Amino acid sequence: MRTGDYKQTYGELVALVDSPPVWLWSAVAVAALIVAPYALNAYALSFVTIILITVVGTLGLNILTGYTGLISLGHVGFLVTGAYGYAVLVSKYQMHPLVGFLGAGVVPAIASLIVGAPSLRLKGLYLAITTLAFSFIINTVILEARTLTNGARGIPVQRPEIFGISFDSDTAFTWLCLGVAILTLFATLNIRRSRVGRAFVAIRDNDTAARVMGINLHAYKLLAFVTSAFITGISGALYGIYLSFVSVEGFPFLLSIEALAILIVGGLGSALGTVLGTVLIVLLPEATRLVFSLFSAQMDALFSTGAQELKSMLYGLVIILFLRFQPRGLVGLWHDIRRTWVHWPLRY
Amino acid sequence: MKKYLTTASLLFASALLVGGPALAQQGITDTEIVIGDVEPLTGPPALLGVAASIGHKIAIAEANSAGGINGRKIKYVLEDDGYVTARTIQGAKKVIEVDKAFAMLGMSGSGQSIAVMPVLEKSGIPTVIDVAPVKFLWEPARKNVFVVGQSYEEGIIHLVNYLAEKNPGKKWGLITQDDDYGITVRDGFDSVVKAKKLNVVYSGNYKKGQQDFSSDMLQLKDSGAEVFLAGGIIAENIAMMKELEKLNVKPVTGIFWPGRIEPVLKLMGPAGDGIYAVDYVEPFAGEAGKAFLEKAKPLVSEAELKGINRYTMTGYAAAKVLIAAIERCGKRPTWACTISELENTKNVETGVMAPISFGPGVRFSNQKLQIMQADAATLSFKPVK
Amino acid sequence: MQYLTQLLISGLAIGAIYGLIAMGFAVIYKSTGLVNFAQGEMTMIVAYIAWTISTTVSGNLFVVAIGAIVAAVILGLLIERVVMRPMLGEPVFATVMVTIGLAVILRSSINFIWDAYPHGLDVGFGRNIVRVGNIGVRTGQIAVIATLLVLLAAIWAFFRYSKFGVAMRAVASDDRTALLMGISAPRVHAAAWAASSVIAGIAGVFFAISYDLSPAMFQLGLKSFPATILGGLDAVLGSGVGGLLIGITENLAGGYLGSGMKEVAGFLMIIVVLMIRPFGIFGERDIERV
Repeated sequence: MRTGDYKQTYGELVALVDSPPVWLWSAVAVAALIVAPYALNAYALSFVTIILITVVGTLGLNILTGYTGLISLGHVGFLVTGAYGYAVLVSKYQMHPLVGFLGAGVVPAIASLIVGAPSLRLKGLYLAITTLAFSFIINTVILEARTLTNGARGIPVQRPEIFGISFDSDTAFTWLCLGVAILTLFATLNIRRSRVGRAFVAIRDNDTAARVMGINLHAYKLLAFVTSAFITGISGALYGIYLSFVSVEGFPFLLSIEALAILIVGGLGSALGTVLGTVLIVLLPEATRLVFSLFSAQMDALFSTGAQELKSMLYGLVIILFLRFQPRGLVGLWHDIRRTWVHWPLRY
Repeated sequence: MKKYLTTASLLFASALLVGGPALAQQGITDTEIVIGDVEPLTGPPALLGVAASIGHKIAIAEANSAGGINGRKIKYVLEDDGYVTARTIQGAKKVIEVDKAFAMLGMSGSGQSIAVMPVLEKSGIPTVIDVAPVKFLWEPARKNVFVVGQSYEEGIIHLVNYLAEKNPGKKWGLITQDDDYGITVRDGFDSVVKAKKLNVVYSGNYKKGQQDFSSDMLQLKDSGAEVFLAGGIIAENIAMMKELEKLNVKPVTGIFWPGRIEPVLKLMGPAGDGIYAVDYVEPFAGEAGKAFLEKAKPLVSEAELKGINRYTMTGYAAAKVLIAAIERCGKRPTWACTISELENTKNVETGVMAPISFGPGVRFSNQKLQIMQADAATLSFKPVK
Repeated sequence: MQYLTQLLISGLAIGAIYGLIAMGFAVIYKSTGLVNFAQGEMTMIVAYIAWTISTTVSGNLFVVAIGAIVAAVILGLLIERVVMRPMLGEPVFATVMVTIGLAVILRSSINFIWDAYPHGLDVGFGRNIVRVGNIGVRTGQIAVIATLLVLLAAIWAFFRYSKFGVAMRAVASDDRTALLMGISAPRVHAAAWAASSVIAGIAGVFFAISYDLSPAMFQLGLKSFPATILGGLDAVLGSGVGGLLIGITENLAGGYLGSGMKEVAGFLMIIVVLMIRPFGIFGERDIERV
């Protein structure tokens, strides 16, 4: 019987997964996602696609907020620059989609350097403030750079074709998103267990101590910020392709908040938590609808007047309740359940 | 990772549940026919989304109280997108795939309808769009997508032409919003400026959501513009007119139909008197408008009655056209039949705008425009002759 | 010259509103150490309540004013007691996120309780236009500038001379020591939330009088944010002055550079301020560089 999560060797501490069954479960999950397009209707599939795209973006934010402990209130700015990076390269200059994806990462990364270099020298909420400002300024920049971005007209984006494989159908596009999501997941998990990742976490936990240990705070914070922007940009490209039309309109400020909510609900700093949080937040409106329909069939009439707003209110409420009662998020909840299960009837 | 599975299986289960009875065409049972719609029902754009949905409801209630479409009652499925494009796409997919709608009305703003177009095209569902008529939606013509209304460009051209004829040789000012709506307004304006060689002295561009227009209007005043095209939507136009009142200038002002709702006049106060507007639906102050309100009264709730504005009329007209087309298909309507009957729509009277017609390869009803003028005393728009 | 004067006056008028909201930010930051992202939403809610009072109870200026202040106090206390107090002692990140969640809830409540139409707040005052030469101002705009100045003086006196004001400063500078000195931190926090809500509410009511009410009003919170950064997040008076500066900057940018610049002028200013003087013009120099 396992009596706890004891790590006895260094290797165990940096292992990718903490027990072999996780591999099995992950494989099953991936297999399920691969066959999902055949089993689901287009509506259900659109949730899977949205979840996969969102997972990529929030994993990116997780590097910054979860690992390094810095808050960004303007990550939507990187999402939109990523989408434009892709759309301009691929739709306007007919470049290869892979170049487009690279651009979708590099453009926001450069933007993040510009924003991050001055503001990351300061401690506290200042990055949150500058990123907030950035997400508003970047929209004006995009609208003004008409020759490159078509201004407010936006850029239509086709589903890509890579090495002869067309990702035009919803099925294929979901697979593309799945591929990117898995790659991102591995990338962030590996960052976390590398030297760099440990430096990030050290900064989060105690920056003064981290500095004493020889970590260059400014450089590492900047690295976290740039990596985060890069990954978020890729997610932006996918989101743009999903929308089939890239314009400033398609990327409301609310998305920044949504991403933070996902991290909180899922559990800060955990990749599993990020995935769980995304699933919950994306499906929340649908779940709400289900709850309402349980109460009464006449809810429809109510929905048409003011009660639509109830859904948004619920969304805010979920954020508050999680912070209040389960600050470690869904992943914390999961750990608690697992622990209770293993040790029952004893307490740990 | 594990949660992936549960979600997948959950979604899978919900997918199985919605299979529904196997009929020749989706969305039709012996007693019911489903019409779907996606509109912004939350946030500030709810102003147009809710109004449009009320229009759809009025037409549907009217048809249902007359016995439905060949005996089948219409069930109206309405989705909220909150004016978020991704949710419009999802909403459309839900209405088509889960609710198994037979036909679609709506849908949301211009950017949203553009983004949802691939979904509509792929599914082949008969659709009548009424909220945001922009050229992209009917050029090129899609087999199953029909648009009731008039293009933004044509509307602006009509208005500017009218104002230019009435005010020859005057100096012009224009302000537009920094989005696709603003650009179409600007395009329409520019084409008249070119054709008539108008003297434009002020051309502004404001950020969506801007609330303080003091510096913009000051620039307008400073430029000496005598005719002014206010390209705001609702709150923006009000703010501009009040600012001009403060600055003690009163140029001849034209506004566009998205902002032509009666509460605007109340808020503009005397500053709003005499402003011109262009629209393709009848003003509520006219005979047709009054008749429409009378008709609506017993069919909708008290709260909904308050939410009626011009978008209710466009929604009503589109729903009328769609219902008539399905009706003409007889006992067993199919998508193919509905689409060809929509195409055969010839001079259908709706009472709220000029008769509506489509045709082979014509997916745009090209409504007749009229100029109206605001009357601050009665808080209404009156047609000008 | 006349062009410039009119720009400056309009800038002061909108700046006074930013200033009031910015003071609301600063009051909360100073006494609780967190940035309240629901400030714009609180502004909006109080304005809507004032509008409801004016249409249902009485359009009398004093009735509306007293009603709005009472409503603002209740709103502030309610938020502090129900939402914020349970978070006492939690990390700043968590509490800030709670205010964001709160903002989402308050924002949605507008369409839920009221509607999406714009409304005018009519209290029989504030809509008249005063003209000096060729320059026009609404009485409501003059009143809001005057209110800001009076409040600045009152708050200065409060922090300087009243016992409770000193207590608030004590809690802000070191809440544990303050606690040991017998100052009740929750009481101070409650007072800060109530005060912040009232100040923001005043801004909302004045905005509704001079401009209009609409569900997009919450954006005032974001627009005022640069003001409090410029003035100093912990400087209540500085934030008020910062508002005036931002208002003028915006209008000058709009008047001479074009509307596109106007709306982002404040945010550009944030970046510049953070590079040169991150604690703001009037803020205390306690920025840690690590």
